[in-house]
Amino acid sequence: MTDTDDRDAPVFLEILHNRLQAVAEEMASVVLRTGFTVFVKETGDFGATLATRGGEVFAAPLAIGTTNNPGKPHRPVIDAIPDWAEGDVVITNDPYSTGGFVTHLADLYLIKPIFVGGRLLCFAACFVHSSDVGGKVPGSISPTCYDLFQEGFRLRPVKLYERGRLNEPILRLLLDNCRIPTQNWGDLKALLGCLATAERRLQQLADRYGFDRIDRGIEGVLAWAERRARQFIQEIPDGEYVFWDYLEADAWGGAPIRLRCRMHVRGSELYLDFSGTDHQVRGAFNLPSMNQKAHYMFVPTLCRYFRTRDRSIPYNSGLVRPVHTHAPAGSLLNPRPPAAVGVRAATMIRLMDVLLGALGQALPERIPAAGAGQACIVLLAMHDPRSGRRRVGVIQPIVGGSGGRPMRDGIDGMDFCVGFLRNVPAETLETDMPVLIEHYGLRADSAGPGRYRGGVGIELAVRVLAPETVLTARGMERTQLRPWGREGGSPGELGCAIVTTGRGERRPTGKIDELLLQPGDVITFRSQGGGGYGNPYTRDPEAVASDVRRGLVSPEAAQRDYGVALNGRAVDALRTAALRARVPEAGPAFAFGPERDALEAVWPDPARMALHRALDGAPASVRSYMREKLMREMAARVGGVGAVRAQDVADAVRELNAKIGLPR
Amino acid sequence: MAARYRLGVDIGGTFTDVMVADEAGAVVATLKTPSVPGAPEEAIFTALRELRRADIATEDVALFVHGTTLGVNTLIERNGATTGLLVTRGLRDVLEIRRLRLENTTDFYGDKPLPLVPRDLVEEIDERLLSDGSVYRPLDPDQVRAAVRRLIAEGVTALAVCFMHAYKNPAHERQVRDLIRAEYPTLFVCASADLWPQQREYERCLVAVMNAYIGRRMAGYFRNLEAGAVTRGLRAQVLSTKSNGGVMSAARAADEPVQTLLSGPASGVIGAAHVARLAGAPGIVTVDMGGTSADVSVVVDGRAAYSTENQVGDFPVIMPAVDVSSIGAGGGSIAWLDAAGILKVGPRSAGADPGPACYGRGGTHPTVTDAYVHLGIIAPDRFLGGQMPLDPALAAAALADLGKGINLGSREIAQAILDVATSNMYAQFTPLMARKGVDPRDFTLLAYGGAGPTHAFLLAKEVGIGKVLIPPLPGTLCALGCIVADLRNDFVHTLYRSDHQTSDAALEEAFATLEGQGRQWLAEESAHEIPLESSFVLYSADMRYEGQAFEIEVAVPGEARGDRAAIARRFHEAYHAIFGVSDPRAPVTFVNLRASVVGVTAKVTRLQPPARRSAVPAAQTRSVFIDGQLRDATVVQRASLAPDGWVVGPAVLEQYDTTTFVPPGYRVRADAFGNLVGEAV
Repeated sequence: MTDTDDRDAPVFLEILHNRLQAVAEEMASVVLRTGFTVFVKETGDFGATLATRGGEVFAAPLAIGTTNNPGKPHRPVIDAIPDWAEGDVVITNDPYSTGGFVTHLADLYLIKPIFVGGRLLCFAACFVHSSDVGGKVPGSISPTCYDLFQEGFRLRPVKLYERGRLNEPILRLLLDNCRIPTQNWGDLKALLGCLATAERRLQQLADRYGFDRIDRGIEGVLAWAERRARQFIQEIPDGEYVFWDYLEADAWGGAPIRLRCRMHVRGSELYLDFSGTDHQVRGAFNLPSMNQKAHYMFVPTLCRYFRTRDRSIPYNSGLVRPVHTHAPAGSLLNPRPPAAVGVRAATMIRLMDVLLGALGQALPERIPAAGAGQACIVLLAMHDPRSGRRRVGVIQPIVGGSGGRPMRDGIDGMDFCVGFLRNVPAETLETDMPVLIEHYGLRADSAGPGRYRGGVGIELAVRVLAPETVLTARGMERTQLRPWGREGGSPGELGCAIVTTGRGERRPTGKIDELLLQPGDVITFRSQGGGGYGNPYTRDPEAVASDVRRGLVSPEAAQRDYGVALNGRAVDALRTAALRARVPEAGPAFAFGPERDALEAVWPDPARMALHRALDGAPASVRSYMREKLMREMAARVGGVGAVRAQDVADAVRELNAKIGLPR
Repeated sequence: MAARYRLGVDIGGTFTDVMVADEAGAVVATLKTPSVPGAPEEAIFTALRELRRADIATEDVALFVHGTTLGVNTLIERNGATTGLLVTRGLRDVLEIRRLRLENTTDFYGDKPLPLVPRDLVEEIDERLLSDGSVYRPLDPDQVRAAVRRLIAEGVTALAVCFMHAYKNPAHERQVRDLIRAEYPTLFVCASADLWPQQREYERCLVAVMNAYIGRRMAGYFRNLEAGAVTRGLRAQVLSTKSNGGVMSAARAADEPVQTLLSGPASGVIGAAHVARLAGAPGIVTVDMGGTSADVSVVVDGRAAYSTENQVGDFPVIMPAVDVSSIGAGGGSIAWLDAAGILKVGPRSAGADPGPACYGRGGTHPTVTDAYVHLGIIAPDRFLGGQMPLDPALAAAALADLGKGINLGSREIAQAILDVATSNMYAQFTPLMARKGVDPRDFTLLAYGGAGPTHAFLLAKEVGIGKVLIPPLPGTLCALGCIVADLRNDFVHTLYRSDHQTSDAALEEAFATLEGQGRQWLAEESAHEIPLESSFVLYSADMRYEGQAFEIEVAVPGEARGDRAAIARRFHEAYHAIFGVSDPRAPVTFVNLRASVVGVTAKVTRLQPPARRSAVPAAQTRSVFIDGQLRDATVVQRASLAPDGWVVGPAVLEQYDTTTFVPPGYRVRADAFGNLVGEAV
């Protein structure tokens, strides 16, 4: 503690921590109460932070709103304004000029300096995910956007209020360039209320305890979180842990995008090196971290782990002080402007799995298997035949099961990665839109078997009643590469979507960009289950029998995957003993499933790294094209029987260079 | 002699509190008797016996209102009936999926709550209605029979029925309900739309499932209570308190026990609201602090606030209930040091057993109560009127032990524990008030419960509240709430139409139907000679702009209930008040229409029995360690406090079941009703 000279520091820090947490929660509460748009009310996609003059987050809400705030880099925004004055409020939604503070244009941020007695104490910031900031599609977000300008207007940090006076031209500019000016102004007012609350509360605190004591205490609370995080990192065995996973991102036929991390633990320091992660892509999956140290979209898995170990740990950037990161420029995780970034959430979600895998290697007895790892948002648009009015609405967010855990099963039908999402009641959906929810339930036999199985996925079947109904489903993932199992547990079942036409024909849709449906058509989503943890042949037979009784595991799967035979509803002990006499040998630490194994049999890590290095030399604008083309062609060349060799990659790149007019 | 007494009984976890008022509205007796967890009615019979000894004959009771925690305990302890569920085919997992959202997204080891009905006791029925209530697939009674037979074979004794769009057309649900009642009369059965016909299948289904889960046990309890009370001479109807702060007949409560789930905290708030009304405090924040937490609620102009987003244990409850939230610490909250050496208080509580260290029941962890004792705030020999002496040495030892870890003496750490506990409460209190749009500094803090008066001023100081009110008998506010509660019931109709899709006549008709249901309910409930002074109906509508995903509730004056434009105007105003923007030209949607019928009962105006003539000791002083120093605090027996004389903090006011602590910076006096009125000086 920095405050060790202060004898009551252990008491004062807890009191201050409570008070600061109260300010952060109150800020979020103000946004929730007075925020206007759907994202605020339904999905809780808004947030609030308090940051030091140096830009570190020292308090952020946990009860409502987004919780991935530790590591949010406020410094670049602070530095962007040379003359902060009391009464200023700065607005921005631009990732590239805020050093990755903002990560897509739809997030409208306000930042206010908090002065006490003329001295700058700290900064308060907040945002809402606006339902529209202009751009090529309503809602501003589409995976197929290929540059930032298609995603909406762009405001680098600028004063919306200057010493308390509204900067009208800026407001007009903003409201004139979006589809929902009234709602956005409503949300901005909610954000202004939130900042006013922060200012009042912090001034009260400083009045009571004195500016300097609060100032020192803020550092004390950060140092406290840091100290706890270091204690947890210290427990991780020193060493290097390399892990990668993929974004399928194949809505337009691309090859899987690889996210690779080398986690290096030394004492109480933790290094994450993302070198080897694929280069930035043409679609909107890029995550603009700007290579900020311990960027908030890199570290949620670590913060979640710390919070799992100690629920009362202060939730601030102190947690990530011992975390160091490197994301090379021009990569998916640190793209160059004006790369499109709208759906960077899908990338952040996959990154959670990458960190889960790296951390899981180091701490196999503490870390779960992979969960569904997607937030698939299904939208329908149609003309209501009864009223003739055009309707657009979210059908459901589809997630899937969470991964099996070292001491218990995964969660059925829901995963941590987007655990804050809520669904829409089927009755409301059917009243709002001409659809019939035929089925909305848990998906049997989708969980990865394990001593502790994964959570099962979701099955949703929607019958369309209106002609020319257009369906989109963004964020659909893990339809090709499974949520992986751990420590002998098997991977979860793949997700998929199927259309059954009115005439009874069934066809899988693959990834859905846009799908035209007619009355009588039924679209069925089956989402992935989480990976299992531990050898399924060691699962308590009674737990298997219970799963069978509850219809989550079929009797055949019980026998095949778990070696458990049932006699009616009860365990058949004799036959089970016979089945389990031949226990399959201990499975691998990670079970990725046949699809990924096949992919990597053709493209092993050394070849993939060679490709990556070769593309480093190519212009950024063509890397995405070259990677996808080479991956396809070289795989075809080895004909599915051998592996691509690292030394052949460089030649292939040179050939391709020549074809597209680049120097060899 | 004509019946004349009004009897309120609040059955708590440890004690059953009784309050008796006469026909003139004066409280004439209170008593406390230990609760009997296995058979809660026994404590009531004990109380009736004791009252008879005090010349209050059971035969003379005109109004008998009681509140029980049996329902909520059954739910939380998960020892209700083996319950089955019949749902529309395709929706089997409505209880498993819930609304998706996880309670805690940062805990890898966290889980979602276990459903009250396991998946294998849910049967899918081939029937389907569309959103307009029309039949898409008819019901097959034989399939229902087969499903029920299978569930009975599985040991099911209670059944809930929830079909899609039953709020619009309950025909299928009722057909199944009647079939089961006719053919399987031993099953407890209930249908979702009978209980609460609101759109949202998960929440409505839960209402039915919770009702079935606790139903058999509650029905048995009410039967025993009524039979036992009648043999003991009771002539009045047995009434039960409800989550909405009102009362209903025991017969109704046996059918719809789900309405009692939040009745305990609701009664306390109703009692507090009554006290505030008498004392003339326009806005109060109530704080009921017990062993593990503090329950907080807001009352404006004597009216409790209601919420339709309540939580009971793991589950949401969408029926309107008095809006009560739990925050922070209680008297039993345990103090500890985290791995970085920081002092923490709670959330773990020592409960009643072993309880705080000073209880001498083997507890070794220091609690908030140990801090009160060690600092001199609570006198160890006067706890519960001296019936339960506390051991200050045990408190001191536990505190000293903890203090060693961070080099603080036992007094300093005790003071620190109170400071941290107060900051815990602050940390949840202020965001809560912000969500309600309330600035607590404009309010009076009304404290009750065992530890409420002890901590009230500390919390008030932290939050910046200048006024504090402590009722005369802070331990019996729930029993008071029983006596002063009105007959009250709520009705809902999901309309879900925008103003251009509906008509004034349709609104008028829907509201009139709700009113009719309300008047009929009131007639049925008051048929048993429950004296009412008046009755009225309150209307409201859940509204939003067309296309939005969330509603706000708008009060609708009776004369405007058939006037879309007038209601829309109120909506725009309410919207502007919250969001600072509104769009008076935009179409609005009427989602739910609501009506609450209220039958007003007579109220008490004297809040405590006349003081017994006993020798009241003169004011003394005792040393209290506060703000880092020993101070001489005035010690006053509450009963001896003279009206209109100020007592200046530091002061301690003692009474049978609680201690009020007034820190420096505040002073108190007694008002005409025996309330302690505190204010910042």
